[in-house]
Amino acid sequence: MKKYLGKKIFIYLITFFFAVTIDWAIPRFMPGDPIQMLLSRFQGMEGGREIIQAQITASFGLDRPLLEQYFNFWVSLFKGDLGTSIYAFPKPVMDVINQAIIFDILLLVPSILLSWIAGNKLGAFSGVNKKADKYMMPFFYFLTSSPYFWFAVVVVFFFGVQLPWFPISNAYSATMRPAFTIDFILDFLHHWFLPFLTLFLVQLGGWAIGMRNMIIYEMGSNYSKYMESLGASEKLIRKYAFRNGVLPQVTGLAIRLGNIIAGALTTQIVFSYPGLGFILLKAIQNQDYFLVQGCFLFIIIFVLLANFTVDIIYMFIDPRVRFSYSGEV
Amino acid sequence: MAKSEFWKKHENLYFAVTNGKVIFGLIVFMSILALAIFGPMFAKYDYDEFAGPGYMPPSKEFWFGTTLMGKDVFTRVVFGLRSTFLVGFVGGTIATFVGLIIGFLAGYYSGKLADETLMMITNIFLVIPTLALLIILSAYLPYRGILSQSVIIGLTAWTWTARAVRSQTLSLKNQEFVNLSRISAAPVTKIIAEDIAANMFSYVFMVYIIQFTGTILAAVSLEFLGLGPTQGISLGLVMQNAVNWNAIQLGLWWWAIIPGLLLTILIVSLYFINTGLDEVFNPRLREM
Amino acid sequence: MKIHWKVLLGVLLVLLVSTMAFSYERNETLVYGGGLWGAPTNWNPLTPWGEVTGTGGLVYEYLFHYYPLTDEYQPWLAVKGEWVTPKVYEVELRKGVKWTDGKSFTAEDVVFTFEVAKNNALHYSNVWEWIVSVEAVSPTKVKFVFGDEPHYQEWKNIIYDLRILPKHIWANMSPEEYLSTANANPVGTGPYMADSTGQDRMVWVRNDNWWGNDVFGQPKPKYLVNLVVNSNNVALGMLMKGELDLSNYFIPGVPKIKDTFGLTTWYKGKPYMLSENSALLFLNTTKGAMKDAAFRKALAFAINPEIIVERVFENQVEVANPTGLFGEGWMKYYDETVAEAYGFSYDPTKAIEILDENGFVDVNGDGWRDDKNGNAMKFEIIVPNGWTDWMESIKVIANNFQAIGINAVPSFPDYGIYMNRIQDGSFDMCINNFASSRSSTPFTYWNWVATDEIDGKLVTDGNYSRYDDDELFTLIDEFNRMQDTDKGIMEKASEIQKKLLTAMPSIPLWYNGLWAQSTSNVWTNWATEDNPTGYPCSWAGKMQFGFVEMLIELESAQ
Repeated sequence: MKKYLGKKIFIYLITFFFAVTIDWAIPRFMPGDPIQMLLSRFQGMEGGREIIQAQITASFGLDRPLLEQYFNFWVSLFKGDLGTSIYAFPKPVMDVINQAIIFDILLLVPSILLSWIAGNKLGAFSGVNKKADKYMMPFFYFLTSSPYFWFAVVVVFFFGVQLPWFPISNAYSATMRPAFTIDFILDFLHHWFLPFLTLFLVQLGGWAIGMRNMIIYEMGSNYSKYMESLGASEKLIRKYAFRNGVLPQVTGLAIRLGNIIAGALTTQIVFSYPGLGFILLKAIQNQDYFLVQGCFLFIIIFVLLANFTVDIIYMFIDPRVRFSYSGEV
Repeated sequence: MAKSEFWKKHENLYFAVTNGKVIFGLIVFMSILALAIFGPMFAKYDYDEFAGPGYMPPSKEFWFGTTLMGKDVFTRVVFGLRSTFLVGFVGGTIATFVGLIIGFLAGYYSGKLADETLMMITNIFLVIPTLALLIILSAYLPYRGILSQSVIIGLTAWTWTARAVRSQTLSLKNQEFVNLSRISAAPVTKIIAEDIAANMFSYVFMVYIIQFTGTILAAVSLEFLGLGPTQGISLGLVMQNAVNWNAIQLGLWWWAIIPGLLLTILIVSLYFINTGLDEVFNPRLREM
Repeated sequence: MKIHWKVLLGVLLVLLVSTMAFSYERNETLVYGGGLWGAPTNWNPLTPWGEVTGTGGLVYEYLFHYYPLTDEYQPWLAVKGEWVTPKVYEVELRKGVKWTDGKSFTAEDVVFTFEVAKNNALHYSNVWEWIVSVEAVSPTKVKFVFGDEPHYQEWKNIIYDLRILPKHIWANMSPEEYLSTANANPVGTGPYMADSTGQDRMVWVRNDNWWGNDVFGQPKPKYLVNLVVNSNNVALGMLMKGELDLSNYFIPGVPKIKDTFGLTTWYKGKPYMLSENSALLFLNTTKGAMKDAAFRKALAFAINPEIIVERVFENQVEVANPTGLFGEGWMKYYDETVAEAYGFSYDPTKAIEILDENGFVDVNGDGWRDDKNGNAMKFEIIVPNGWTDWMESIKVIANNFQAIGINAVPSFPDYGIYMNRIQDGSFDMCINNFASSRSSTPFTYWNWVATDEIDGKLVTDGNYSRYDDDELFTLIDEFNRMQDTDKGIMEKASEIQKKLLTAMPSIPLWYNGLWAQSTSNVWTNWATEDNPTGYPCSWAGKMQFGFVEMLIELESAQ
């Protein structure tokens, strides 16, 4: 157990190192000049642009050799300093992300967990109920086949514009100011609902299908048949099938995280919902290295932590893993 | 491969062609494929041409209506479908191929350094969100064509395949017949190709279908973010255009809904085939 | 399960929110969007390229406002400004103006605003090349002394474009801070103050002690909520639902649905919007056939902008005249005879004629015209990827060129690459309009389309054509050194137009609009053609054209 855990942690650390290096490298080798971009649309006075350009470039340290920039990057990373955003100048990247990430968490965590739970339940139901399966399975397929943004646009049209039940953009009403009051929370939830629904439903399809198939496998497996012949109740067999079926769904959670984050990104853009999605897109369009790096770093850490958690959970619910991982089976 | 030989060898195919889900999926898939192949031949216009007045609902003249600017939606959709198939095909093939190789090797050499290294690489790729990587890589290329887009997606989408194939290989390689080959000192490539891969054929085929759909969906997301091909047309670009030009708010449902629906139906049909095949290859499911 | 989530949500919300309960009265609040494209982070008036829109205009004010529709200056922080001698400009300042921290606004503040650029590298530091001194003659009078040839035209621009700073605050800052401070609590003299910010909004609150209340009247909305709306389709949805009072987005379909949803635009009918800037096709004059003026002229005749205006913009913009000039401030120098004699309009036959005459014919028989030496020609027209209206426009232009036998293809690199290519000269043709915005003097336009700053490795100040003509540069420079009333200034302007039309380094296409749509659920009496009481533009750096005036004239719908 300890050996397994130690090995896992070591591998995660190395993964982290490489991921962060790639994170540092890629945006920096992107074509284009962020400073030019910042000033490109500025209708300045004659010759004014050159003066400030030199000033700003130096202040970002972009005139330093690459290796030095890389080294500095690690040093400041451990100090929790991700540099200053060029696009959201002069705000530190850390602040930009800190203030945005709460919206991502509020959208992602509930939608992932709830859709996982609901998807597994519905899928299990569909797996044992042939009649329901006929209608539910195509529906699940439809959900999981929809691109997030397209689903979002359709949802906006029906539940935001045609039936004006929900607001279609931003995180809370224009007349609201964040406060810990019932009014604000209700208003916030009102705005939160449609983007949440989009993420929830599209993800739901995938989980349901996975569970449905697993249940059918398990129900047909030898141990189920054996239990049946022993006279175990159908309910008990289902319970065991579900328990076994859940295992791969846990792994699926880790594997699909990247995909879900991408879905959240496009969904947030459709709803003009604040969060890392829009910031990341803007940062890329404006070649704001520091911000791009910062956003990725957070995403990487989030995915790594989630994967790690899943690994640990898995270790507890399925001891076989510990051995299979090192091929000792 | 000669067909008669194939029939004899694969009784599974009998189940495949009699499986309702497979038949349904195949019919839908083939119809859409036919639309992509033959549709452009019936198109009267160029996909970027102002074919008629704007805001036209579907009619005899414009089968899928026209866009706000008067471009023919049918033409755009069928040309877009072609690219979408291309993306799925190229991207899906690359992703499956890379995933298979890495998964097989890692699985075969499980526990050894090669396995550790390969799985490490896989995990790194898994951790860096694919879409994020795509966004960056896409911005790299001065111009993005449909082909380069599919290659990029393919090269980033293989990770789960590698993981899945690895564990499949793990369970297979300890079975008797593989051990037999190993004892008879057959070369690794031969063992992987003949014993392991052959026995995983059905699995690989289903993986391919999922990679195919995954690539298409990833491409569509990229296109929506404005990071799709900068030249040419694809279903995602038609949809992105429709969204950007307010097709939904302006009531041009034929422009906004038809391409998205077609895409969704295409992917659903593939899932149907996949589920159907699953039942074929795993007789337990057939009983359902 | 549910309760569990509510608890978590609650905990997270606590982290998110402050503890004060508050909401803005909807009927006291103006909700608008179009000028804010990300979480507000910068209120520094010395970095106008990055400031949150409203920093200039709502908080920091200008000496004058400029009304582009009547070409008039409205004294603002100044009450009077005049050239007392050809080299001395005197400004009489308004009395009783206070900074929002209670200190009085004086001539010292104006002097400081200029002086600070003398010793520090700021975007307007160059004025010191032609200004000799700025001094406070009295607490309400500033005297500007100029060198030999004052840049009269540039000066006309500066007096309504330079945000006046409070000396008592900025003098205490270190020079490094001038460009790097976020200035999160901006202290200005203007009608609004920063109230609160969110990830997707900036809220301003009315300054009830604003000096202008007694002079012009009080702006009606107590709060201004500037929302970040990511895309025009969301903006349109919000307009349909009445969630947005004013939108400054280009929204396809507005002509079609404006009456159904009761949207107000400046003009009731075509072209719906005011013009805001000229969009031009820049031809890289350092490359191949584009070195040839006759060839460039032929291209101008080949383009059919009517199609673009009609199809792409649904008549929300107007076709540009051959000089690219528009608006009262510029049109007074527009020379119709020159435009007619040397101008162009869509005429493919004429284009073909010019090409044939000048030897641009198909030599190798591939169906495309070749250059004078018989070499094949191929051109690429670029606009940034995702700029959908421009993307459609260059498809039309490429078709127009192909129709007269010129092999041109549209191409859409990402914005960063587009910028790189127009700046380092590795492009053939591109559309651009970045600094051709409405102003009080055509100098700003000419100095951009034909700036002489083209010798560096990168060209960043306009003239992406890299058209090198010292005579033209001198003419523009001389124009800058003349007053509107000077004898011969009209001739100078005509000569510039004639030169640009003969050389044709860039082709004016259409006037991009001042996109503005408003709803009447909460606020009415919007500034329109029939009610020209302001300028419905919330874009950064343009509020002195009449945004505040519009707010004063608004009426509550209740």
